[in-house]
Order: sequence, then C-alpha cells, then structure tokens
Amino acid sequence: MYRTADGQEIFVIDGHIHFWDASPENWRNQYGEGWIRCFYDYHTSLSPAEYVWPFEKYCKYSEEDLIKDLFIEGYVDIGIFNSTYLTEFFKNGFNTHVQNNVLKQKYPDRFILCGTFDPRWGEAGLYEFRRMVAEYPIQGLKLYTAEWRNGSRGWKLTDPMAYRYFELCRELGIKNIHVHKGPTIYPLNKDAFDVHDVDQAATDFPDLNFIVEHVGLPRLEDFCWIATQDKNIYAGLAVASAFIRRRPRYFGEIMANLLSWLGPDRILFGSDYALWSPRWIIEDFMAYELPADIKQEYGVDLTLDIKRKILGENAARLYSIDIEVHRQRLKSDPIGRRLQAAA
Amino acid sequence: MDSAFAAAVRRRLEEVLDPELDESIVSLGFVRGLELKDSVLTVTLKLPTFWCAPNFAFIMAEDVRRALSTLDGVREVRVALEDHFAAEEVCGGVNLGKSFPETFPGEAESDLDALRDLFRRKGFIRRQEQAIRTLADAGLSFGQICALRLADLQLAGDRFIVAGEGGSVSVPAEPITRYLKRRSEFGLDASPEGPLFVDLSGRPFTPEGLAAYLRRARLVRTSLEANVFLCRALLAARNATEGGGQNVPHG
Repeated sequence: MYRTADGQEIFVIDGHIHFWDASPENWRNQYGEGWIRCFYDYHTSLSPAEYVWPFEKYCKYSEEDLIKDLFIEGYVDIGIFNSTYLTEFFKNGFNTHVQNNVLKQKYPDRFILCGTFDPRWGEAGLYEFRRMVAEYPIQGLKLYTAEWRNGSRGWKLTDPMAYRYFELCRELGIKNIHVHKGPTIYPLNKDAFDVHDVDQAATDFPDLNFIVEHVGLPRLEDFCWIATQDKNIYAGLAVASAFIRRRPRYFGEIMANLLSWLGPDRILFGSDYALWSPRWIIEDFMAYELPADIKQEYGVDLTLDIKRKILGENAARLYSIDIEVHRQRLKSDPIGRRLQAAA
Repeated sequence: MDSAFAAAVRRRLEEVLDPELDESIVSLGFVRGLELKDSVLTVTLKLPTFWCAPNFAFIMAEDVRRALSTLDGVREVRVALEDHFAAEEVCGGVNLGKSFPETFPGEAESDLDALRDLFRRKGFIRRQEQAIRTLADAGLSFGQICALRLADLQLAGDRFIVAGEGGSVSVPAEPITRYLKRRSEFGLDASPEGPLFVDLSGRPFTPEGLAAYLRRARLVRTSLEANVFLCRALLAARNATEGGGQNVPHG
C-alpha cells in the first residue's frame, strides 16, 4: 500500500517477482553462473547505489529479505511469482513454482503463483501439467520461450503442441499467461526477440490474457503494434520501470507510447524483484510527471488515476481480486500485523 | 602495431555497426582489443551481456572481418568474442569463413540477410524520424518538410542550410547526414530534384500522412534508444564488475 501525501491509499500488485536460488552450489554449469552474473549487471546498472546488493546476497537471498523488500518497505500488497525454471542451468531450477510455493503457503493472500508449460514436454507433459494444477495453487502461467531443453534453444507460442496446452488452460480455468520473449529462439536466423507468435496465439485464444513481460523490450515497437491488434494482450512493465531513475525521459517516452497505443487499462506494474527493489521504483513512479513536451506530442498524461490502475487495479481485474475485500483481509495476515505494529 | 596502422583499423571499425542498435561498435565500446602478429590481425569484441543473440554477434564478427581483410599488411583477420555463451561457435564459424547455417547446423533455416535487412529498415526509420524532428524543431512545418528536395540542403561546416519558401534555416548536420547515408543504401531517388523524405518504397509523404507515419516512427526510435541505453549501461556494469581488458578509445 502506497499512501500519497494527502492520505490516498494506492493498492499495489507487483506483477513480476522472483524468489530465486542462484547460489554456486545450484549452478549446473557455466551457464548458471553466466545467467546470474548477467542479472547482476542489470541490477547494478539501473539500481540507485544504496539499493545495490553484494553479489553473494544477490545469488541467494532469504525469505525475510523478500518479505521486507516487497511488503514491509516496498509498498507491495500482492506479488505475482513469475516462476522460472532453467533446469539446464541450475540443478534445482532457478525459481520454480515448487520453490515459490513455500512462500505462497506461508502467506497465501500475498502471492499469486504462476506455473508453466513447455510444448517440448509433448503428450506426456499434458498429464504433468494437469497434476501441477491439481497439486499447487496455480493461478497463472509464466512462459519463457528461450528456455533450453535437450539441445533445443527455444520454442514458439505457435508450436502445435503449445496450442494443446492453451486448450488445457481453457479447460482448467487458467486465464493469465505471462510471456517473456527471447533471446536465442529457434530458428536462430530470425530476430531473437520477435513477438509475432504472441500475436497469433492471442488471436487464436481470445479468452486468454497474454501479459508480455518487459513490454516486449527490446522490441517495444513490435509489441505495441500487436497489442493494438489484440485487446487481450497486456504490457508488463518489468525492466522498463527500472529506467525511471537513470533515464526518466526514456521511461516517459515508453509510457507515452504505451498509453497512446494500448491505453491505461492494459499496463501492469512489475519490479522484477530481486532484479530491482520495488521501493525506489514505486516512489519514483508516484512522484513522476510526464515531461510537458511529451504530454503535448503524444496527447497523453500519467495522472494519479492512471497510476492507480497501473500499480494495482489492472492486475486485480485480471486475477479477479476485489481490492476492498482483499485490503481488509491483508490487515490481519502476519505481514499485515507486522505493518500495523510498525506504524 | 604502429599508430598509423592502428588509426586505419579504427577508422574501418567505426563503420561497423551493431545491426540491432544501429550504432558503431567502436562508440558502443564493444572493441576490447587489437593485436597484429605475423600479419594476423585479431580483434576482440565484448558484447553487453553473456547472452547477446548469436545471430547479431555473428553479423558483427563477419562485418569486422570484411572491413579489415583488405587492409595492407593484413593476411588474415580473426575475431574473438570475450565471455560469450556461443563464442566458440560464432568465432569458429566466422574465422573459417563459414555461413551462418553452416555454423549452426540444424538451428538456422537460412543466412542472415533477411535479419540484416529488417534492422537496416528499422535504422532507416529511426534516422529519418530524427532528421524530420531536427527540421521541425528548427520551425519548419510538415508542409515545408514534405516539399524539401535533396538540392535544398547545403552543407556548411557542421550545419545544413535548408532553403525553404520563407527563407532558409540552419540545423545541426549530424542527424541529417546519418539519415542521408542510410537513405543512399536503399536505391531511392538520389537526383537533386528527388524528395528529401520518402518512405522505404520510395513514396514521398503528404503532410497528413507524415503525422501518422511519425507516430509509428517515434515508437521505433523510442525502442531503439531504450535498447542502446540498456546495452551501454549493461556493458559498463559488466566491465565494472568483471574488469579486465582495455577499450579502444573512441573520439
């Protein structure tokens, strides 16, 4: 919950969080190390100095770190676990739904748990997918098309087998699909970040919602174009939101384009924690005003009402969360009690 | 390597672009080392991340090799990629003069011409948007901008003097020069009477059409600029945490 200077309460759903284990003991090979070192460069390059962690902590942080950074100090009310598997890089996976579920069980009202599918699991995987949904409180999916598997370096949402899983999502009532595109997708000669398969899948499954994480960056232009065609495509702000401190003007231009092409109802806030801490991003975001020339040129504004939608209301609508009811319930969960004791 | 040779190498490398970012690999800081030994010139590149897409890495490595192989005193050019997940494959392929599908058998359906072309087009749109913006910022209306012919531009030092109906204006040359350079690569009307601004199929703009076109074009520019910023920031962070190497200085 973020409180404005005049006492208005803004409900915050962080649409993109992780609880990863990238400790050296969990590296399967040089790719595990390469993965977390690359993440660390994202972290150090965009975080304010006082929020930069030592590399060791960045590899593996504690439950208490996460609770404090998101909920106690970071204004977040609910976090959406974008489970990421990478089992060819990490022995136990990077942050699978099984790992993330430990926190979901302790604080059920604080987290939305995403599972996944991979079309390369084939027919046998359909059964595993059913079992995952039966055994875990899966409310959405995170798909990562650049996952390596048995010599294959990626897949597409339009693979025929992927469609079988989307049909199963329909049957099982899973509506929200978070998609992270690229890099290194088959075929290797094509643009590694191409988002056009999301376009096709969104057209063929109009009753599912496709939240494209990182607003399709580095292909914002292709993303905005497909999202203009398909109203069930949403923009996940993770990564773009972290531009706000070091490049507020680029952040403003990205927001102006999103508001102009998609409108204010299909943009979801995300910090990508622990890539970045939500606290400074949300503080900057609430204080942010679009530069006057950008407002003028694009004919859009980032008002308090629009910020409220982006920070929580849009995600609440996708996940059928009644904000007022949920707000009351959160007051008495263990984190809510901690917050009240500290107030 | 003597300083005249090093300068010649640098001049040629400045012409090699990151195809995705449409910026020189020298100004981006990707060139980490040059070594000449027994007429074999080795160029070491470091990209912003360990995971940078192998197809773009391949294009840059290939372009470096092409740009330098005709230099006097160079018998062979080798490219090394520092700390990249596919360094062995990419460099192994490029240094033996293999094509992309030969380098990644079973993983690529064709060579990289279509990818190169796609990003040259994106770069064209970005450069064109910046050129149009430069003229609009100097006070020209869309009507005036659409009416400009190539002959209406006169270079004067680092400015262009642009002749228009209501007198001439002076604008910074760089954004326009960058646009003209890319414009010349597409076989578009290059006669003095040719319109300064045309789309990629060679059609001139109307003032109404230009407004809608710019809405798309500024989106392409935003995306590219955000990407350039992120790549620069990531490379700087990478060099700070990992250290090592010495960038080739750029002016």
